[in-house]
Amino acid sequence: MSETTRDPDARHIATEARDRVRFEEEALALSDQVYRVARHLVGSREEAEDLVQETYARAFRSWRSFQPGTNLRAWLLRILTNLNIDRGRRQQRSPDMQPLEEGDYFLYNRLEAAGDGGPSDEEQVVERLSQNDVVSALSEVPHDFRDVVVLVDIGDFSYADAAQILDIPIGTVMSRLHRGRRILKKAMAEHAVGGEAA
Amino acid sequence: MTAYDPCAHCEEVMQQYMDRVLTDAERAEAETHLDECAYCRKRYRFEENLRQFVRHAIASEPMSIELKTKLAALRTPLQ
Repeated sequence: MSETTRDPDARHIATEARDRVRFEEEALALSDQVYRVARHLVGSREEAEDLVQETYARAFRSWRSFQPGTNLRAWLLRILTNLNIDRGRRQQRSPDMQPLEEGDYFLYNRLEAAGDGGPSDEEQVVERLSQNDVVSALSEVPHDFRDVVVLVDIGDFSYADAAQILDIPIGTVMSRLHRGRRILKKAMAEHAVGGEAA
Repeated sequence: MTAYDPCAHCEEVMQQYMDRVLTDAERAEAETHLDECAYCRKRYRFEENLRQFVRHAIASEPMSIELKTKLAALRTPLQ
């Protein structure tokens, strides 16, 4: 009746193996980007490496639950952020209610004021920051805010992807991003030019 | 009641402008203001430079070869 001699089960197994290999290759191709985000979500290089390894172990185990055609990078980071939360790294709630008066121009104004008083262009003003100022300042941003800033500003995720990854509403992404960027700027200003303005 | 301050408004929407999430009308309003206002324009250019600077400052440490090898080893062995 059928001209094929192949067992349908064997064919199914072969197709599945091929899909799995493709999935694993695509996932591994994203590992640099996944690591880059992880590195700034957690405190140390060791923690980030552990977290990325755990993420890939879980991703490879549950690859069937990934829907082909959807955003694999976001799917991997969803696993990563869930694992990170499972590790209980965030016990303290973020100080959402703490007042933060500084506006968006705060950092520019502080850095410009710290100059010699002469006219300065925007690039010279940025150069008053060091790489260390940025790294230290980012590590001081509370986790809930840092997650969003890292995903959107470093990982280049859209608001919608960040919402999906962190399992929070898009409005929360926007408010945390707004606040997180300001906290980061305030911390950068403190590192670059010291505490309160004269 | 406080008077409408276009620079304060521009400051308020600056990040959303840079994220390209404003409506067309809001975007046009922000651009008109940036064309007219040297104070805000200077700060807008700074914000653009700052984003690049932050991105580069914290992207300088690549993943180790050891970790890459470990991840590859997690793959399901071929039958």
